[in-house]
Amino acid sequence: MDHLQLGAYTFSSRLILGTGKFSSAPVMLEAVKASGAQLVTVALRRFNREQLEDDLFGPLSEIPGITLMPNTSGASTAAEAIKAAHISRELSGSPFIKVEIHPNPQHLMPDPIETMEAARILASEGFLVMPYISPDPVLAKRLEDVGCASVMPLGSAIGSGQGLASAAMLSIIIRESSIPVIVDAGLRAPSEAARAMEMGCSAVLVNSAIAASDNPSEMAAAFRDATEAGRHGFKAGLMAESTEAVATSPLTSFLGEQS
Amino acid sequence: MTLLPDWLTEQSISRELEAMLRNRSPESLETMAARSRAMTLRRFGRTMTLYAPLYLSNYCSSGCAYCGFASDRTTPRRKLDEEEIRREIAAMKQLGIQDILLLTGERTATVGFEYLRRAVEIAAESMQRVTVEAFPMSVEEYRELADCGCTGITIYQETYDSMQYEALHRWGPKKDYLYRLETPERALEGGIKTIGLGVLFGLSDPVTDALMLYRHARHLEKKYWRGGISISFPRIRPQTGGYEPAFEVDDHLLARIILAFRITMPDVELVLSTREKPSFRDGMAGLAITRMSIASRTTVGGYLEGESPDEGQFEISDSRTTEEFCQALRNRRIEPIFKNWEPAYNGPSHQTRPCS
Repeated sequence: MDHLQLGAYTFSSRLILGTGKFSSAPVMLEAVKASGAQLVTVALRRFNREQLEDDLFGPLSEIPGITLMPNTSGASTAAEAIKAAHISRELSGSPFIKVEIHPNPQHLMPDPIETMEAARILASEGFLVMPYISPDPVLAKRLEDVGCASVMPLGSAIGSGQGLASAAMLSIIIRESSIPVIVDAGLRAPSEAARAMEMGCSAVLVNSAIAASDNPSEMAAAFRDATEAGRHGFKAGLMAESTEAVATSPLTSFLGEQS
Repeated sequence: MTLLPDWLTEQSISRELEAMLRNRSPESLETMAARSRAMTLRRFGRTMTLYAPLYLSNYCSSGCAYCGFASDRTTPRRKLDEEEIRREIAAMKQLGIQDILLLTGERTATVGFEYLRRAVEIAAESMQRVTVEAFPMSVEEYRELADCGCTGITIYQETYDSMQYEALHRWGPKKDYLYRLETPERALEGGIKTIGLGVLFGLSDPVTDALMLYRHARHLEKKYWRGGISISFPRIRPQTGGYEPAFEVDDHLLARIILAFRITMPDVELVLSTREKPSFRDGMAGLAITRMSIASRTTVGGYLEGESPDEGQFEISDSRTTEEFCQALRNRRIEPIFKNWEPAYNGPSHQTRPCS
């Protein structure tokens, strides 16, 4: 079977859903179901034990077959992310932690230095660490070295809808990585998820494109199908691409001539 | 004559914004609304973060001509003691509020830093997010507030027009334009994570004020790259003292300003308070605004005792209950969010000092 392997966990779905930005918790839950996702991420800052209709964690934890991956969105340093990881594990019981450290709250770009530090410590504590990173091939290998369960490079900036703007860097990361590479952020259209999977990504994480759609459930289903199609395409092997002209007269016929 | 810094006066910085504000055609407003709506949806999704203000005190040493708390008003003065703060917070929590903005007037002998620091501490015990709108402080004081759980400081320049500023701030420490202008920088230096900027539209030419506000935000963005920025759009409301605004800012112009800020600053939080009427708030919710106050009381002790007429800092236009307001948002397919912060992230941020 073709499964996504993260630590000791296996998933048949290769689409991971983000749960913020939806118009309501019921709409989000419908989208999660329609997506076929088995792994979803939820921000610790959206765990709300005091006001249940505002809470994302409670309703998600009741869907059968869903594994929760808390994330540290809002943390701006390694220390804050580590603290958030501990609280998240306590509240959710999940071994997964998506390390998101963005010191600039405007563009939400991940801090490579703080992420490296948090990932190293959390991996040594037994977490299944899923770091959200800029598409930096060296950083990806460094995170693999310290025991991360995957790397999650951005396709483009969070919420930008610019798709796989970082495709060239992503292809280097995919080629070199021994752990799953999951494209996280920036995807706008299902076709971009398919393309990421065709490139050899192990999975994709989508939130804004589904939450901001007029019909989140239908868009979630579209991403589900696109992710599967892209995976099939990758496994089957894409035909070699060529844009170069083929000369009508051979250019190398002189080779092997006697004189 | 106050000598203003170049970053505040350099017009080329705000060219795109200015083009949108000078063109007053209805067609351009529709186009801007469509663009702003798409940008807001993409970046923030279908959500609205909610907060409510708690007026700790209405003592004030300043003479702002437009404010109901100015020191020459006959408004009875009062400050909440610790027990009253706890009771007000408990009443706010009953309304569902978990994100609180603590307010005071200008610093006085009765209400100073230590009082405010203690109020932050008390609020942080039970609220998920605590921000402050009070008097300008020193870097050290801001650091202490951050240590106690204050994550954001709101400090409006009120107007960037230095002549109007001089005329409107009749006495008191607030008279010093440059000291107030530099306050956001001291707050960020002190480790405050988010700074709330704004002008009180109507005090001076609104377009000029909007352009200078934008340049101020851009300056902070460059100098303090870790700093979060939010921008509010208050306009003059009737208040005790009867100040008549010098410049009219109608709904169309205010909407245009808000939309133009979204388009030129796609990632910043834009805030609208209950000063504005329900139709305007509901309409702007889907178009640009991402943070709103709810169930606000602008009198000291207002949550438990109810609002007493003529004593608030300004009049509220949207007096809907939390439930009514949330339902209005849901009708527009926007989720009201009461908790969008995690206290684990409290504490001073680590600003790297810029080279100068």
